[in-house]
Amino acid sequence: MSRLSRHFEALGALLLAVIWISPLVFAFWAAFHSTSDAVNFNLTSPWTLDNFRTAWEGAPWLRYFLNTFVLVTVILIGQFVVTTLAGFAFAQVRFPGRDVLFILVLMQLFILPEVLIVENYAMVSRLGLFDSILGVGMPYMASAFGIFLMRQAFKGVPIELHEAARVEGCGWFGILWRVYVPLARPTYLAYALVSVSTHWNNFLWPLIVTNSPDTRPLTVGLSIFGAPENGVDISVISAATMMTVAPLLIAFLVFQRQFVQAFLRAGIK
Amino acid sequence: MSATNPFVHVDNVAKRWNGQLGVENISLSIPRGSFVALLGPSGCGKSTTLRLLSGLELPDEGTIAIDGRDVTNAAPSDRNLSMVFQSYALFPHLNVAENVVFGLKVRRVAAAERREKLHRALEITGLLGYEDRKPGELSGGQRQRVALARAIVANQPLCLMDEPLSNLDAKLRASVRKDIKKLQTDLGITVVYVTHDQTEAMSMADMVVLMKDGHIQQAGPPEELYYRPANTFVAEFVGAPPMALIDGAALPGVGGAARVGLRAENVTVAEPGQGRLSCTVADCEFLGSETFIGLSHPAASGLTVSLPGLRHIPAGEKMEIAFSDKDLHFFDAAGQRLADPAGQPAFTDG
Repeated sequence: MSRLSRHFEALGALLLAVIWISPLVFAFWAAFHSTSDAVNFNLTSPWTLDNFRTAWEGAPWLRYFLNTFVLVTVILIGQFVVTTLAGFAFAQVRFPGRDVLFILVLMQLFILPEVLIVENYAMVSRLGLFDSILGVGMPYMASAFGIFLMRQAFKGVPIELHEAARVEGCGWFGILWRVYVPLARPTYLAYALVSVSTHWNNFLWPLIVTNSPDTRPLTVGLSIFGAPENGVDISVISAATMMTVAPLLIAFLVFQRQFVQAFLRAGIK
Repeated sequence: MSATNPFVHVDNVAKRWNGQLGVENISLSIPRGSFVALLGPSGCGKSTTLRLLSGLELPDEGTIAIDGRDVTNAAPSDRNLSMVFQSYALFPHLNVAENVVFGLKVRRVAAAERREKLHRALEITGLLGYEDRKPGELSGGQRQRVALARAIVANQPLCLMDEPLSNLDAKLRASVRKDIKKLQTDLGITVVYVTHDQTEAMSMADMVVLMKDGHIQQAGPPEELYYRPANTFVAEFVGAPPMALIDGAALPGVGGAARVGLRAENVTVAEPGQGRLSCTVADCEFLGSETFIGLSHPAASGLTVSLPGLRHIPAGEKMEIAFSDKDLHFFDAAGQRLADPAGQPAFTDG
């Protein structure tokens, strides 16, 4: 009975994995074959790099890559600064109204970012950040998830370490920098992974805020490249898609072990 | 302890937690270079007293002065003290050397001076060669020594220790006890040491402060607590076995004392008919060089007689005991020590 159920579980997991990976596998297949070969699943057909050549010439990809890279970096730095300071305040600083404030921050988790698009758009325009990378990243910097994560990580730091640092002459900022931040390193790594992959793939908000190729990230660039008015060529679009997901995919495959360990150590799955 | 110029002076300090009692009426004068043990059962306020000294807690009432300077509300780092925590509080992400020089780095001591002080501190604590180890790779005793090294490297005149030996096994504890005492004498620093273990307090300290329920019961040299306990709590806490207490009414000719204290070593076994009290044997405790015979008597608690070598006396057997009047301690109905019959004044707090 238990053996049967174990086989059943393994089979189910395998099936899910296949369903999950099939779009990626198809995109990979299509990217390296001519359109007719790709849709006919002609397994003996020759492999080609023509699609990549066509796609690469069709849009300023280098610019898009740079934009996305700058965007995720700016967001990550902003998030680290804001969530570290806020998480520390919620974890270790006693001030009136702390719990109420923390609940308000947590409530942000229940609100879909899409609901706030109009308000964010108005705010970004008021700040004069429309069609800029900072404007794309700004609404995500005070991440409720990140604040919650950092607060939990900081709460796990033994109070004796805090007190020992105080006796040794550290101020608030010194304690944060020398004790709490180094001890929360696995949490930072796990959070960075989530943040980078989310914002690398984010589409709707950048589509609305950006207006020119100078600020457009990869996702928006790809959608414009693949828009019906440019003519649909499944192989070329697949090649462009493979290009845009490649950096993250390769980074994940290379650092897979570290990422999984970071998640286990940070206590989230 | 009435030094004319005490190094640490605590005056009438109180700390309360949400109306609950923390410590109350704490007054202490600690001379420079002495080793003071704060002793008492758990929850008696000894750790709170230490934290008030360190500045990790601030008192609700009273003043604290260190080295002639009022530090009642000063930050811990402004009090020129170092601290050893019960859990050692070593930073797990730093190696031994970085842990030891942590405070020097924070205080921006030059690198060359830092290296020199680190070397000396590691030499004193026998940790040379372990500089690059992380705390997780050290044994309990080694971690304890790293904590000591961190406390002495800054060369602060006052060191506070919060039960630093409670996480070590018994054998190690005895040897580290000697090391700490030697360290304190060699460096000439003042140590305030919290413990619930009276052996530690009695063997290391120049002055023992015994506390209960947030109040100081008695403060003085170990021998004073042992030979002249200020009240029945001190009498029953200090010594192994603790002092026996007998109702004054059961002993003819002890004057107005409500209770009479008697130590095991002053009790002798008497021939039948010759003793002053007739008791029943309750249990025998063999300790190697001697055997403690626990006795029960309707008007006494904790009566014990010490006999040399291995003895076995069946429980329930009758035994008569004798003792001389000069070994008796007299307490009034409230448990306070009465003036000794010899005319010496009773010892009180202070």
